[in-house]
Amino acid sequence: MTVNTCREIYRHICENLDEDLSSPRCRQIRKHVDACPDCRAYLDSLKKTVALYRELPAPELTRSAHAELLETIRLEFSAVESKKTRRGGPKRTP
Amino acid sequence: MSISDLAKASDKSLIQAARKGDQKAFAALVRRYEDTVFKFSFKVCRERAKAEETLQDTFINVFRKLDTFDGKSKFSTWLYTIVSNNCLMKRRRRKRDDLEESLETFDNPPDGGPQSRQQPAPWEKTPDEVLLDKELQTLLDRAILKLPVDYRLVFVLRDVEGRSTQETASILKISEEATKSRLRRARAFLRDQLHPYMAAQGA
Repeated sequence: MTVNTCREIYRHICENLDEDLSSPRCRQIRKHVDACPDCRAYLDSLKKTVALYRELPAPELTRSAHAELLETIRLEFSAVESKKTRRGGPKRTP
Repeated sequence: MSISDLAKASDKSLIQAARKGDQKAFAALVRRYEDTVFKFSFKVCRERAKAEETLQDTFINVFRKLDTFDGKSKFSTWLYTIVSNNCLMKRRRRKRDDLEESLETFDNPPDGGPQSRQQPAPWEKTPDEVLLDKELQTLLDRAILKLPVDYRLVFVLRDVEGRSTQETASILKISEEATKSRLRRARAFLRDQLHPYMAAQGA
């Protein structure tokens, strides 16, 4: 394997991982990766990096955060309503 | 709209109703997307309190900008743009430029290809086998937090949320080329951060 090929492979596998492998260039890359243990190990480690972040758990939204959000929205609607009322002006009695 | 109508209604009709002042319609939109927004912001900022704050700010922005949503893109795309902007605004003012400069080195590995950056010790274990480890979770959090937020956003949108390059570029209002370049650098940076731990696991 030439240094240049590995450099090119590095850039390509970082960018595409295993996407769009049908083009002639991608087939060439795949052929290189299959034959080069270093590039294969590198590609595998990149894929595992992505998989780890994908599987890293995120917490659930709490009921209190949900309730707080709905209250914020209620206040936003009230603010718009009271603005509209103010624009309409106070009703005058004769 | 009745409660069952609200649950079945399209995003578009909920938006139309909310524009006319229907608070229940807007609350239905909130219920539909609050988990998505909260989890996405958590994945970017890795902190519950910040993610909750981003959630609040995002829906306030959505409410205030509802009239500007033109319906040309999906509501979810527009929502991701707003939450991403909020994540960007909350970024810590820090040595950002230094790291950004060092990330450029991930475009051009030193002579010798990928193997010369770090020894190619393979990662023997699968993510499932190691993910229960608290130490690894801390490492993953620390590594992603070292990335500038604009890189983190691209990585989370593309690789974690599974959005396409085109949609990610559209959400972040950057070119597809910039999206690809940030993703490439982010992947390589994170991989290198995890490498000592993961390679040792396989030993």
